[in-house]
Formats: sequence, structure tokens, C-alpha cells
Amino acid sequence: MNLAFKDIRYHRFKFFSSVLGVGLLLMVVLAIGGIIRGVIYDSATIVTETGADLWVVERDTLGPFVETSRIPEDYYHAIEVVPGVAEASPLAIGWEHVVRPPRPTPLAKFMYKNAVAGTQTMVEPGWMDVPAEERFVVIGYKPGRIGGPPALVAGRGIEADDYELVADVKTGFQVGERVRIGYHDYTVVGLTKNMVGFTADPVVYTTLKEAQQILFRPDPDLLRDRRRRFREPFETEAALAPRLAEPLARRAADLAEDTHVVNAIAVRLEPGASPEAVAKEIARWQRLEVHTAPRQVNLQLMGSNRLLILQLSLFRVILVLIAGIIIGLIIYTFTLDKVKEMAVLKLLGAPGRRIYVMILQQAVLIGVLGAILGGALEFAVEPFFPRRVEATYGDVGQMLVAMTVIAALSSLLAVRRAMTVDARSVLGS
Amino acid sequence: MEYAVEAEGLTKAYGEGRARVEVLKGVDLSARRGDLIAIMGPSGSGKTTLLHVLGLVTEPTAGRLILGGQDIYGGRWRPDLQRFRREKIGFIFQFANLIPFLTARENVLLPLDLTGVRGRAARERAAELLDYLDVADRADLLPEKLSGGERQRVAIARALANDPAVILADEPTASLDTERGLSVMRLLRRLSAEHGTAVLMVTHDTRMIGEVDRVIHLLDGAVRDPGTTAGQSIPGGFCS
Ligand SMILES: Nc1ncnc2c1ncn2[C@@H]1O[C@H](COP(=O)(O)OP(=O)(O)O)[C@@H](O)[C@H]1O
Ligand SMILES: [Mg+2]
Repeated sequence: MNLAFKDIRYHRFKFFSSVLGVGLLLMVVLAIGGIIRGVIYDSATIVTETGADLWVVERDTLGPFVETSRIPEDYYHAIEVVPGVAEASPLAIGWEHVVRPPRPTPLAKFMYKNAVAGTQTMVEPGWMDVPAEERFVVIGYKPGRIGGPPALVAGRGIEADDYELVADVKTGFQVGERVRIGYHDYTVVGLTKNMVGFTADPVVYTTLKEAQQILFRPDPDLLRDRRRRFREPFETEAALAPRLAEPLARRAADLAEDTHVVNAIAVRLEPGASPEAVAKEIARWQRLEVHTAPRQVNLQLMGSNRLLILQLSLFRVILVLIAGIIIGLIIYTFTLDKVKEMAVLKLLGAPGRRIYVMILQQAVLIGVLGAILGGALEFAVEPFFPRRVEATYGDVGQMLVAMTVIAALSSLLAVRRAMTVDARSVLGS
Repeated sequence: MEYAVEAEGLTKAYGEGRARVEVLKGVDLSARRGDLIAIMGPSGSGKTTLLHVLGLVTEPTAGRLILGGQDIYGGRWRPDLQRFRREKIGFIFQFANLIPFLTARENVLLPLDLTGVRGRAARERAAELLDYLDVADRADLLPEKLSGGERQRVAIARALANDPAVILADEPTASLDTERGLSVMRLLRRLSAEHGTAVLMVTHDTRMIGEVDRVIHLLDGAVRDPGTTAGQSIPGGFCS
């Protein structure tokens, strides 16, 4: 007869509340692990998903997402002929925002109020009651070359300069929605998932030309001023060459509008080419900075999100220790509650092994069910986090192993204590 | 005739030095197979302690204890006490001490299960015992649903399950009415006679004295007037 299951059947409330307690603690432990992984993925995803082996940027800059970089658009032709390069794709990258009517979910409101509650002295009240500006990263690419959206979860991709956008779902844009960015209205034609900059700002894709207009086209006043300055020298020289002056002046004025600037050139290598060697070649030949993809990820991850990750890691260590201790205590007291039954079993001559097995089965079952429950709860709450949270089955597996060990240790300690208790102190005779 | 229980100079002391208290002061005692012996004495005289020593729950500080021909503490190696307990000794406690998460039937099946008796043979034995103790209709209830008397009878059935050589009972009839108490006594009587089981029973209940072979009076941890037969001595003042 399996004593463990009969006991569980009888003490189901105590058993399942212990499982619940363990499960909730493990949910939090798994969530903080998922949050850290989320930050790491967010730091890397735009680089890894682009599929570029090298990122070419302005000399002495750290990369298009980290530091302002401007290089001539046409350089990509020159880079494409470097041996080992399969494809070079000019990219315009910058931050933009739209102002939209606020529509926070009740959960978002609650989270904001909760965040402000403890830090009122630091945050001016009402500072962000409802965020109306939504910031995102604009990436302009030449359709057909790398740098565009990887996999779409809805709609279609961009084929030509048609004032179309593919946006990450985190922007909240819907397929078919019209969004005003800069001086034009754009139609959202497709959606991607998990495409964010390392600060977790969602990415919006459009064609290179339109992105250049959005990002680099001067303000109208500035443009008027520039036009005037560009024309001026020709007008003062008009007496010398009256017939040439006017067309030259117009040509010069047009230059004021020129936006043939990109922020980076993404390079895909031919199979077998050494990224380091090609990077050195490009950097030597042009006055450019070339980062390999892993280095680019590292710059975003360790250069920019380092403190955030270390901060969360320390918190995770504290959390794991506390959860371990509390789970140990839950199982320890759960086991010690059975002192009387253990004493009676001993008096009936039950072999020690039988008693240990009964206790171990229950304790390990609490640990294992707790880990499964914790995993299920964590996966259930993940979508409600504002940033990406990504716990894995591997994490849950780790918890299963850790829980088995903790449950075994703490219950064995408890049984050893229980077995030394004087029988008559529990029998009441 | 072979002795089921033999004890010589059993001593049990708690504490050290000045705090040392001798609860048993050299108890000599023997019981043959088939004996029904009552242990009487005022509260605090060491009756429960004696039963616990005899039942291998508590190790004596000094003295010899021979159970079923085996010297428990005197030999070169100590026998497996757990095994001894489950095969040779049946306990009936002052309180039933049933396992709360097992039904009455499962409580009786437990000692059988522990000695490896399972399946049909075990079920039949449990049913027979429950029937014998008149709790067959309560067999599938948990202890918390039983009355005190029913619980105690289930506990007796549990003690009998493995047909032990010795039954140690600590005031088994205290929670029963006269009739049920007497029937339990007769049951133990019959059991000791039919199966050759030695029954040692602590009781305050003078009504039961007529049923027993021998009364052992304990006073301050020592046997007073050992071997007195039931008919000769029933000091009423002793057994309030
Ligand atoms: N663990 C112990 N430590 C110290 N004294 C004890 C212990 N257990 C019992 N005693 C003492 O032993 C004496 C006898 O107790 P007990 O055997 O229960 O007597 P009875 O069952 O006859 O009432 C009592 O005075 C009790 O206080
Ligand atoms: Mg007592």
C-alpha cells in the first residue's frame, strides 16, 4: 500500500497549498530569469535577425544602434567588390515617434501608478499619466537586400517606395492603419514580432529612400534657408555668366535637399570568408569602422545594457536564495507535521526505509509539481509583461532538478529529526 | 514451558547526576505463552514506561530482556528491533493512535503489509479481525469518523493482525463501556489461550481483574508482591 498517496489524499489541502506556495515562488524565479533573457534577446535580436556578418559604420563609432554614424550611401557599391563580400546593404537607422491618442490598458495604468507610488519624489506627478508619444526605431532598407523585416506575423512585406511600413507588433499598429511620420502618411502593410532595438523600442521598417526622407530631410525653415545660401553665390556671379547662373543655382538649391546618407552598411559574407579578415580589409581600404556581428551584439548588450543585466542578475541571486530557503522550510514543516504518524509507523515496526520513502515521495512530488505549476504560471503571465520575457523549458527542467534536490534534502533533515523524537511525547500515553 | 517474556532487573532512569530519576527500579517479570497479566499501580508508578521497555520502544538503562527466547540487549549483536516489533509484538495504546489517513480496514492491513502479507490473504485476515471486533460495518471509514470505542477496537484488530507472541496494552478498556470492555477482555483472554499469546495489560479497571491470570502491582517503579494471583489480592484503594 502506498502510504504517501493515501496521506496526500487525506491531507490534500495541506499538500496542494504547499505545491501552490512552491509553484508561486518558482514562478517568480523563472520570471526573473525570463526577464534577463528578454533583455539579452532584445539587445541582440536586431543584429542577429538582420543576418549581417559585418556592420560598417562611421570611423570611431560603436554601431548604428548605439552611436550616431553617417556614411555616404554609395559606399556600399565599393564594399560589395571587396573579396569575400556577398552582399552589402545600405541602411538608414534612426529614432522617430508618433503621437497617438492615449489608450492604455487598465493593466498598463496600474503598472504605471504602481511604479510611481514608491518614487513620487523622483517623478513629477502626472509626468507620464498616459504616454502619448510612442517611440520607435525606423530602419530603411533596399527591398531585396538584407536589413528588412525577417518573418512577418501578419500582412505582407514592402516591395517599393510606396509609403508603406512593416512594424513590430509592440508598436500597436494594425495592418491597414495609416500613420503620419514626418511629412507623409504611411500605410502599415505587415507586422513582425520581437523586432526591437536594444532599448526595447519597437522597429518600423520602410524603404531606404523613405527612411532617408523621414530621418534626414531638413525642417522646412532650414531647407528654405539652405536653398537661399546655396543660390546666393550664383546670383552674385550672375553678371559673369547670365545664361548658366539660373540652372546652376537651381541645381545647387536641389543639393540642399539631398539625403543620400546612410547610417550603416550591413554586409553578408560569402560562405567560408573570415569576418575578421574582411572587416580588416574594408576598414583599411575605406576610412570606416567595421564591427563583426558578435561584437556588435556585445556592444549593445555589454556596452549599453550591462548595468541593467548585472542589476537583474544580482536580484535573481537573492531571489533564488530566498526561494530555496522558503521552499526548504515549506517542505521541512510539511514533513515535521507527520511526526506522530511516523512514530506510530515506527512502533508498528515499519522499516526505516519505508518511512523515508513515504516522506521522500511526498516531498519530491511537492517539488516536482511545484516546478511544473511554477513553469505553467510563468508562461501564462509572460505576455502581460511590457517587455519581452522568455523563460524556456530548459529553465523549468533546471527547476525540476533543483527542487528534487531541495525537497530530498529538507525532507530527509526533517525525518531524521522526527525519528529521534521520544515516542511517548507524541502518543499521549 | 517456554517464556514469551522474561525480564530481570529492568531499570530505566532519565537524566544525569542530580537530575537522575529512576522510573523503573529493577523490575523482574516473566510471562508464559497464553498468560493474561494485568499491570496495576497508581499514576506515575512507571506502568507505561515498563510497557515501552518491554515493547522495545525505550531502551532500558540496565537489566535483561528476553523476548521469544532472544536476549535483546545482552547478546553480541542486537536483533533488528523494527522487525521484532512488527513480527512478535502487538501494541494497543491508551489512545488508539490509528493512522489518520488510512481507513479502519487499511489500518488493520498496514501491519500485514509491513510483514509482506498482501492481497487476498491480507484482505481476508483484516475482514475477519474487523468482524471479530464488531467494526466490520465501519471498515471503510477514516478514524475521524469513528467513535472512541470503535477506534480502540480497530486498534486492537491492528495489534492482532500479525498474530504476535506478545501483546502490550496500555489501558485498552479505559475508553469503553463495561460491556464492551468485558468483551475486549474476553477476546484477549480467548486470544491468549487459543493462540498462545502472552498479553500484558495496564489497567485501572478492577472490573476486569476477574478475567486475568495474574496481577503485577507497580509502586514507584518496583514490583510489589510479585506473582500474586488475581483472586488473592485486589487492593481496592490502589486502583482508583
Ligand atoms: N522522558 C521522561 N523523562 C523524565 N521522566 C519521565 C519521562 N517519561 C516518564 N517520566 C516519569 O516517569 C514516571 C512514570 O511515568 P509512567 O510510566 O507514564 O507512569 P504511569 O503510566 O504508571 O502513569 C512519571 O513520574 C514520569 O514523570
Ligand atoms: Mg500511563
